[in-house]
Amino acid sequence: MLNGFKSIGRLALIGSGSEIGQALVTKLVADNSPEVILIGRDGDFGLDITNKAAREGLVNQLFGKGDLDLAIIAVGVLGNNSAKSEIENLLDAMDVNYLGTVHLLALIAERMQVQAHGTILVISSFAQVRPRNDNFAYGSTKAGLDFYARGLAAKLRGTGVEVKILRPGFVKSKMTAGMTVAPFAITTEECATFAMKALKSKKTVTWAPSLLKYVAVVFATMPAALFRKISQR
Amino acid sequence: MRRAEPQPTSGWGNNFHSLGNRVSASSIAELQEIVAKNGSSRGLLPVGLHRSYGDSALNSGGTLIDMVALNQIDIDPLRKSAVVGGGVTIAALERAALKHSLFPPVVPGTGFVTMGGAIAAEIHGKSHHKTGSFSQSVRRIVLLLASGEITHLTPADPQFWATVGGLGLTGIILEVEIALRELQSNAVDVTEYRVKNLTSMIDLLIRSDNEFEHTVAWIDLSGDYRGRGVVSLGNYGATPVKIGAKDSKGPSIPSVAGLNFITPLSVKAFNEIWYRKPLKTGPVSLPKYMHPLDGIHNWNRIYGDAGFLQYQFVIDVGQEEIFEKLFAGLRGLKAASFLGVLKKFGAASQAPLSFPRPGWTLTLDYSMSVPGLEKFLREFDQELVSRGGRIYLIKDSRVEAGLLPAMYPELNRWREIRMAMDPNQLWQSDQARRLHLC
Ligand SMILES: Cc1cc2nc3c(=O)[nH]c(=O)nc-3n(C[C@H](O)[C@H](O)[C@H](O)COP(=O)(O)OP(=O)(O)OC[C@H]3O[C@@H](n4cnc5c(N)ncnc54)[C@H](O)[C@@H]3O)c2cc1C
Repeated sequence: MLNGFKSIGRLALIGSGSEIGQALVTKLVADNSPEVILIGRDGDFGLDITNKAAREGLVNQLFGKGDLDLAIIAVGVLGNNSAKSEIENLLDAMDVNYLGTVHLLALIAERMQVQAHGTILVISSFAQVRPRNDNFAYGSTKAGLDFYARGLAAKLRGTGVEVKILRPGFVKSKMTAGMTVAPFAITTEECATFAMKALKSKKTVTWAPSLLKYVAVVFATMPAALFRKISQR
Repeated sequence: MRRAEPQPTSGWGNNFHSLGNRVSASSIAELQEIVAKNGSSRGLLPVGLHRSYGDSALNSGGTLIDMVALNQIDIDPLRKSAVVGGGVTIAALERAALKHSLFPPVVPGTGFVTMGGAIAAEIHGKSHHKTGSFSQSVRRIVLLLASGEITHLTPADPQFWATVGGLGLTGIILEVEIALRELQSNAVDVTEYRVKNLTSMIDLLIRSDNEFEHTVAWIDLSGDYRGRGVVSLGNYGATPVKIGAKDSKGPSIPSVAGLNFITPLSVKAFNEIWYRKPLKTGPVSLPKYMHPLDGIHNWNRIYGDAGFLQYQFVIDVGQEEIFEKLFAGLRGLKAASFLGVLKKFGAASQAPLSFPRPGWTLTLDYSMSVPGLEKFLREFDQELVSRGGRIYLIKDSRVEAGLLPAMYPELNRWREIRMAMDPNQLWQSDQARRLHLC
């Protein structure tokens, strides 16, 4: 339960390996001592997010032990494993980023509606703004997730449950190591600061950094030829 | 039975809001129906007037049962007692009793508290050093159990003591029998003294407890935080006074979004004026003496959207040093409290979760928006526990669950009795969830 300061009593990080997720949890425990449940390969609970029964089992366990105030959904793969074919990578990204994550999101939302309180933070991506040759497969899965999360946020208005979406651009982390650093790149620590902002914001969507909101408008409306040129850099 | 759409509800501190369904019942049969038909895993919670400050009377996702319609009052002048519904307010009982020159021996700082709320919190008043807490005048509780059965509990039953201070988690208090005391008039003879600092305040309270039925001190914790204030002493008087206009006609504070009147400066100014005001002496009407703030409705709104908290703790005599630490910390935060209240408690009751016990109790109000307050209070709680003190749960919205067993050593005994009374966890509250009470 939240306390009178609206500080979190119990939270779960789904995707305990996520550096953004970890940095956010560090911030959340700084002023307070909520119970933190880490879910992922080396977390308190393991989770094969591509397994339907595993997702259901996890949610039962999570909510069986008390109210959950915040679920941070920070799972995701880029789908750029060089040992796999392009099609296999596409399937991986779809399974994890869309099917697994959206199902989990729906399950958590359902349980939080019973509690009549709770917040779910979904980590989306700038990549879902417009398809680019190098990451549209990944972008399409994030676009699907983002679309669902926005719909869910609207549907849940008035139930006490909130869905917040964070849309980071390029974040310098293990996940992006070795990739060319894009403009407006931020560190995981900076990204966590925007995630904190997302949690406090009345708005559903928060960009990280904030300027990306306007960059996205430019990207989305830019003539195709110009966009091709820019995205080929 | 009336059902209302779920709407955000908060305690008196107006800080945290929770969405619960609300039903109001006007008969025992309706209550039994509500209990029998509950299908939700989030359970039920009987509530009164939401004068608890935090989340004791909230149940997000579950159902709040509004008890105020159970308001019948029966005074028996011969036995000097009253049989009253669980939703009867202290103010209504006082009015009815005064007609027979009787009065409840223990009343809280506001008359807008129901019998159910008074018992569930095991409230205390200015007379605690003489009369003990509310349960000391309760002869019988009629309780609706989770099973749907109705049981009559007396102080000989462990379930009676689990219900006293039980935060609504043992069942629905349907009816209560209360012993009343006889009065010569409707007045209290009041004597007030201005004191310059905490030491003189403490001295005066100690010296006065024997002679006075009611003792309390208002303490100014702003400015230099020396703890100056006014000590108010009273005895039931012989000369009657005219009772003023009904409290329901008093002014009301509007709810204005974004407004918070409480700043260190405004508090300091208010406390200054108040400290300088002429001292009262002579007869004051009982309701006015007992419930000084009840003339202003919704005074809790002055804290604006962020809301506020009331922090009340008790500490043994001999541990007064802790006040210095508290005052220094608050000065550091520039946290100014509207009048605090200091009182010396008498004997504890048998209830495992009863708050009062011999020692000093201090009560302070703070806006939730004071920077650093959460952290400071968390650290102060540790200090308090290390000195054997505890906080009052009916005012709480923020203590850490881990500290409860140290504050309330009989918590587990209470849990066992409660569990036997409600094995399927029908009674639930946000506070019970936050503090892992059940
Ligand atoms: C201005 C002010 C002054 C105060 N002064 C004092 C004081 O001097 N001393 C003191 O001790 N307290 C004081 N209080 C606190 C107050 O007495 C308690 O919070 C009391 O419990 C409020 O009663 P309520 O009817 O509003 O109950 P609520 O706040 O609605 O509920 C409080 C608790 O009682 C339970 N409950 C309510 N009705 C029933 C029922 N019928 N059966 C079972 N459980 C029930 C609820 O489940 C909840 O746990 C004060 C509060 C205010 C706002």
